[in-house]
Amino acid sequence: MNRAPLIFLSIFFALALSWTGIVLVNQISYGSLQPVYDENDGKAYPLQTPGLAARGKLVYQDLGCISCHSQQVRRLGYGSDIARGWGERQSVAHDYIREDRVLLGTMRTGPDLRNIGARQADHTWHYLHLYDPQITSAGSNMPPHRFLFETRKVIGQPSPKAIQDKLPEKYRPKAGYEIVPTERGESLVEYLLSLKDTYAYPETKNVYVEPAPEAGKEGEKK
Amino acid sequence: MASLRNLAASLNPATSTDDVNRAESREIDASTKWPAIFLLGSAVVWLLIGTVFALISSFKMHSPEFLGDYEWLTFGRMRAAHLNAVVYGWSVNASFAVAFWLMARLSRSVLRHSGLLIVAAAFWNIGVTLGIGGILAGDSTSIEWLEMPLYATPLLFLAYALVGAWAVITFRFGKSQHIYVSQWYILAALFWFPWLYSVAEIMILLTPARGTVQALVNWWFAHNLIGLWFTSIGLGAIYYFLPKVLGKPIHSYYLAALGFWSLAIFYNWTGVSHLIGGPVPVWVQSAGIVASFMMIIPVFVTAINHHMTMLGNFDALKNSPTLRFIVFGAVAYTLTSLQGSLMAVRSWSEVTHFTHYTVAHAHWGMYAFFTMTMFGSIYYIMPRILLQEWPSAKLISLHFWATAFGVTLYVADLSIGGIIQGLLLNTPVLAHKFGLQEGTDPVPFLDTVKAALPYLKWRSYAGILITVGHVAFAINFVWMIVRSVEVTKTKLTLFCTPTDTEVAAR
Amino acid sequence: MDWFFYAVALPMAVLFLSSTVYAFCWSSQRGQLRAFEKGAESIFDDEEPIGKPTDFFPGKMPVAKTPVSKS
Ligand code: HEC
Repeated sequence: MNRAPLIFLSIFFALALSWTGIVLVNQISYGSLQPVYDENDGKAYPLQTPGLAARGKLVYQDLGCISCHSQQVRRLGYGSDIARGWGERQSVAHDYIREDRVLLGTMRTGPDLRNIGARQADHTWHYLHLYDPQITSAGSNMPPHRFLFETRKVIGQPSPKAIQDKLPEKYRPKAGYEIVPTERGESLVEYLLSLKDTYAYPETKNVYVEPAPEAGKEGEKK
Repeated sequence: MASLRNLAASLNPATSTDDVNRAESREIDASTKWPAIFLLGSAVVWLLIGTVFALISSFKMHSPEFLGDYEWLTFGRMRAAHLNAVVYGWSVNASFAVAFWLMARLSRSVLRHSGLLIVAAAFWNIGVTLGIGGILAGDSTSIEWLEMPLYATPLLFLAYALVGAWAVITFRFGKSQHIYVSQWYILAALFWFPWLYSVAEIMILLTPARGTVQALVNWWFAHNLIGLWFTSIGLGAIYYFLPKVLGKPIHSYYLAALGFWSLAIFYNWTGVSHLIGGPVPVWVQSAGIVASFMMIIPVFVTAINHHMTMLGNFDALKNSPTLRFIVFGAVAYTLTSLQGSLMAVRSWSEVTHFTHYTVAHAHWGMYAFFTMTMFGSIYYIMPRILLQEWPSAKLISLHFWATAFGVTLYVADLSIGGIIQGLLLNTPVLAHKFGLQEGTDPVPFLDTVKAALPYLKWRSYAGILITVGHVAFAINFVWMIVRSVEVTKTKLTLFCTPTDTEVAAR
Repeated sequence: MDWFFYAVALPMAVLFLSSTVYAFCWSSQRGQLRAFEKGAESIFDDEEPIGKPTDFFPGKMPVAKTPVSKS
């Protein structure tokens, strides 16, 4: 038993060191970043995610979209993120401070989605894509999400969200029926559309080397 | 009250009235019998479940319509369920069993109150079942390696606390003069895990830290779970079984100590390398990169030590199933760690980060190293606690060759596929240079998907091969237990008479 | 925030290094590093001594050495 206390102490210190360095120091140094208030439009950035979109994020979480999609744009010149149009600038810590759950992701089997709301703002495109990705992107290996839709009888006015007319032949329902997104499907798309980091924080210009050529449209100030 | 005091006394070596005799290893093995069988049995069940999830996810990757209409079988949930089944189900159960058995043997102390340990193990498995059920039902947290919903956590904590306490008690009762290097690894792992797990649960799920601090905590946790828990248990097992099977002490005990301490100091910084280029402070990323390089020290030290121990004994690989798996695991440990250091290089990370290459790396570590090492350990432990041999040598061979081939194919295939995917995705200039594409503009995204497709298919073939191995293993395992029950029923065994502890344990 | 990192990291590093050195001196003075290499032999005992391989494929175990038979 002779060396036990010594061994225990060292074991403790070994992890304490990285816990301090990685967790504690960062929590103290940027764990309380505040939103940036822009005097021009009187809003605090990043903006709060609206309610329906926030619910959509839960759908995104429970379906595990993160296993194929990242939500972080790397700086210009490192990877081709910006060249691919995944963002106008790199992602910075500020972008995430309103999020209860940060979903950076580690896989890019599919494209980065951090700014999908900026580059693909069409609801219907997203509905069709979710219904069966082959419709919009033949050859994709993204799974179909038909369970986010329901087929129901048209009662009175057809729903404006109905998509059956744009679906390929094999998915068309019987006459008098329509295919509409469920509440979950609708909120998921709302969430996707809310994803856009276009505000230019001070640090996107200073600390990080090169901001994208035409960074930030919404609040281009500072 | 009195019984409480008795219990307390029986847990504290200082107040214990037991003789301080050295327990015989046979007695010790017998005392671990039921918890070990329970833990290993659950591990095997989870292994099979995890394998099924794995196959489904793998098929879905190249044939997205496969089982596409069931929400609970969608890829995102399957993948999370697979990860949690093989990590918390198979790997943790197996490492509990191996850690216990080793701890008891190395401390030369019988396992006390093994019934309570079975209760702890049951809690753990209920927790994991609940967690994976939650993932399939749609409660996944989407935090990598922590996908299990919060309601599963208390059970896991409780179970872990019991297990950890038991290991320490066993250790304190030890009659051994010496703390062997395997015990360092196991004690350290037992101590580190709850720290990692609770910090992660608290700072990510209970009271979420702000912004990307969460990401730092996430990778501090997840990478350390691999490096400080699984690697520790795996190396602890190798340091015991390699010399034990050969009947030859480890080459250098100094190197073993050096390897342990350098791992303890450097490994826990490396997790940040999963965030290279991400929205976290650059200096942490650099610290992670430096630590990843420093990992070359423990890895080389350990590799040299293992190799020098094996030197001149390679013949033994023919005779011993344990040795085969263990040596395969030890070699994989070296390779996967060096690959890990390489992956932290910024320009290599630029290519391979976010691709299937990372998945290959994870399987190299968690499967080729850790899981193979656990297989080897189980092949050693089971005969000693059941006092009989494995039923079928053929099934062992099949298990070894199918999994060894399978995982090698898996890793090679996905690594190549991942590199191609990464070049096309991230560095069009390089991809052009290697003749992978025309011109130097980024290729359309769908082309990167299509380029990876054949490799994803081959991954499925490799997966099928691995599955064959697992089925062979499971058959042998169940057969062995069933036979041992029959043997004891008909009193055919002449191996030994039950020892006192064995009787007491009933 | 780099200054912050150094402000914490440097003292920590000094503290850690010096405690390591101290621990080493302490343990070597107490004679705990003597006969260090002997530790490698601690896993062997009378039942499974050094020089005796202990694992074989089923049915391949040299009979006389079966660990479980008492002969
Ligand atoms: C098996 C991996 C996989 C999973 C799981 C997955 N995706 Fe995808 N996703 C892809 C691939 C590959 C593409 C690119 C081809 C395409 O457009 O379908 C893609 C494309 C997309 C796009 C279009 C991006 C663009 O730049 O045009 C969106 C939006 C999207 N996915 C959302 C989701 C959501 C939401 C989920 C979860 C419900 C999800 N994905 C789950 C693989 C996946």
